[in-house]
Amino acid sequence: MSVSKKVVLLGHFGVGKSSLLRRFVENTFSENYTVTIGVHIMKKEVIVEGDRITLVIWDVEGTDDFTKYRPSYLMGASSFIYVFDASRPVTYSDIKYNLDHLNEKFPEVSVHIIGNKVDLVDSDELLEELRSKDIQHSYLSSAKTGENVELLFKNVAAQLLEDA
Amino acid sequence: MLDKLREEYLKNTIQIVVIDNDNKVVATDNSLFTLQADSDITEFHPFFYVISSLFEDDKTEQKFYCVQMEIRGKTCFYDIRSRVDRKKKQVVLFIEDLSDHYKTVHQIKQVRNESIINFNITQELNHELNVQRGFKNKFLANVSHEIRTPLNSILGFLSVLENTDIDREQLDLINIIKDSSKNLVSIVDDLLDISKIEAGKLEIKNKRFNFKKFTESLITTYRLRTQEKRLEFVADVSDNIPSFLIGDHLRINQILVNLLENSLKFTHQGKIHFRVFTPSRNMRRIPVTFEITDTGIGIPNKHLESIFESFTQVEKRGLFGGAGLGLSIVKQLTQLMDSDLEVESVENEGSTFRFTLSMGISHDQKDSKDSRFRTKKTGKNQRNGAKKYRILLGEDIEVNQLLMMKLFADEGSYSLDIAKNGEKVVQFIENYHYDLILMDLTMPVMDGIDATARIRNHPNRKIQKIPIIALTGRTSEEERQASKEVGMNAYLTKPIDPSLLFKTIDRLIHRYKNKRTELEA
Repeated sequence: MSVSKKVVLLGHFGVGKSSLLRRFVENTFSENYTVTIGVHIMKKEVIVEGDRITLVIWDVEGTDDFTKYRPSYLMGASSFIYVFDASRPVTYSDIKYNLDHLNEKFPEVSVHIIGNKVDLVDSDELLEELRSKDIQHSYLSSAKTGENVELLFKNVAAQLLEDA
Repeated sequence: MLDKLREEYLKNTIQIVVIDNDNKVVATDNSLFTLQADSDITEFHPFFYVISSLFEDDKTEQKFYCVQMEIRGKTCFYDIRSRVDRKKKQVVLFIEDLSDHYKTVHQIKQVRNESIINFNITQELNHELNVQRGFKNKFLANVSHEIRTPLNSILGFLSVLENTDIDREQLDLINIIKDSSKNLVSIVDDLLDISKIEAGKLEIKNKRFNFKKFTESLITTYRLRTQEKRLEFVADVSDNIPSFLIGDHLRINQILVNLLENSLKFTHQGKIHFRVFTPSRNMRRIPVTFEITDTGIGIPNKHLESIFESFTQVEKRGLFGGAGLGLSIVKQLTQLMDSDLEVESVENEGSTFRFTLSMGISHDQKDSKDSRFRTKKTGKNQRNGAKKYRILLGEDIEVNQLLMMKLFADEGSYSLDIAKNGEKVVQFIENYHYDLILMDLTMPVMDGIDATARIRNHPNRKIQKIPIIALTGRTSEEERQASKEVGMNAYLTKPIDPSLLFKTIDRLIHRYKNKRTELEA
């Protein structure tokens, strides 16, 4: 039997949340930036070691202040994917503040932190920068090249199956 | 009638769907899109997976704003309101089509977000550029300082060597080494200036100065320099420029020397024409235009912009030497003085460099103030027969100690003691009498600044007042300011110019002696 779980992509605008989703679901990528307003939802079935899970992924409009997210967008979520743009430090400068908010309001929901657009930066410099800011990221990805995108969602799925 | 109109309007904008707790469609009016009764609504769109969590939520009603859905190839935006009926185990959804409204919002947010992202990217690039520039400037400043210290020894010992018993050929060789070393000093100075300008640490200091004498001295120097190269030097300084102006004469001099040296370097026949003029005579400020024209090799049109970049030389074969910093400094200095450097040039015919400064006119056009700064000449002969002055040198580097010993041995009017750090300096002055202290700023155990602070706060008033001259390889304004604030009386940079050193020593000792007499009286 296939289970379905809600996963929400969060982060500042322009960090590549929609691009990660399209790369994962449709295996497509566009250089053109199109703003997401409200919420755009896609789903994909993932098989992990023979078990099936349908990830229902909510790609919500970007914001720098997570306290402003509409509660209805986040209700029922099983996992959050916090995406930042590796080439724009402003998109991860407030990560601790936003994580505190998520941990307080959704203590049961796991959070995966993703540094996207790594194709635009020197990864050694980025890792040093993240270390200096004490940011514990889960993955560094690129929706453009596809680096780590499949792996990210598969691991999210695996964790959800484990918790189910 | 109104009811009918309302019904028609709502029919096109709102769809009502009833769904059970198995996500099956119980009822629908299909106003916006078609749903089959008893079908699984999650198959229509993944948004509807949310229904199961609506039953788990405490609230009966929820509202989902701006839900984006692709319906028959068209992007639609819906606000969806849900109402849970727990008894019937059903959810009623009111789906309102607000596509037109949200499409306008989308356009506005697209423009706003794009501009913010572009701003972030520009900021990030600027930050990176500043980090790189900061690194470069710090590197240049440190390297310059490190080069300056051994250069001090080279130039100092050359001065000592040329006063020994040497023949004509040896003197010529010394002069060649001296010229090369001085050239190196000027490159180091240029490097320091570039790093200061780019770090925004170079300040323009406008002061009253004798403009007439300033231009006369420049003209005298370059008349001789051009004669040496068998070139003609024509100088035109307008009579209507007042004698005393307000400006940064040191920086103006640096600009003009750079431009004149450039003309001299690249002109092999013909003339150099130096013009200074003003179109008007105002009571308080006048624009003064400086123009240098030569009949040199000129600059190809395509290089007219790049000549102002650091480390750029049009002549790539290195025939003319230099680091390619001069014009970059000149350009940036003129900009710091709210002016700009213009250049006109024809290859193989010559170049004209021109800039105009807005300069203040001093209300006092008399020469009296200058005489106040004149110091009495106190050469070797004048000191003959007089008692020797006792000088204490605080210096940790042996080669610098040796150089100073040689310089003082040649002078003969002083006795020199050496302390190898600031702590020793303080100990020495407490045990012996000294007329003046020469203090290196960078020393181990206790540096020159700390040692000076101890001396200036010493309980013995005579010790407190001993004149102190800072000797340092560091040329930054901060260091100069720090030495002044701690109470040092003069600041000399390495390589030390012996004549300036002894002039400064004499001036301060005489001033100190007069004060001591006043104190004792």
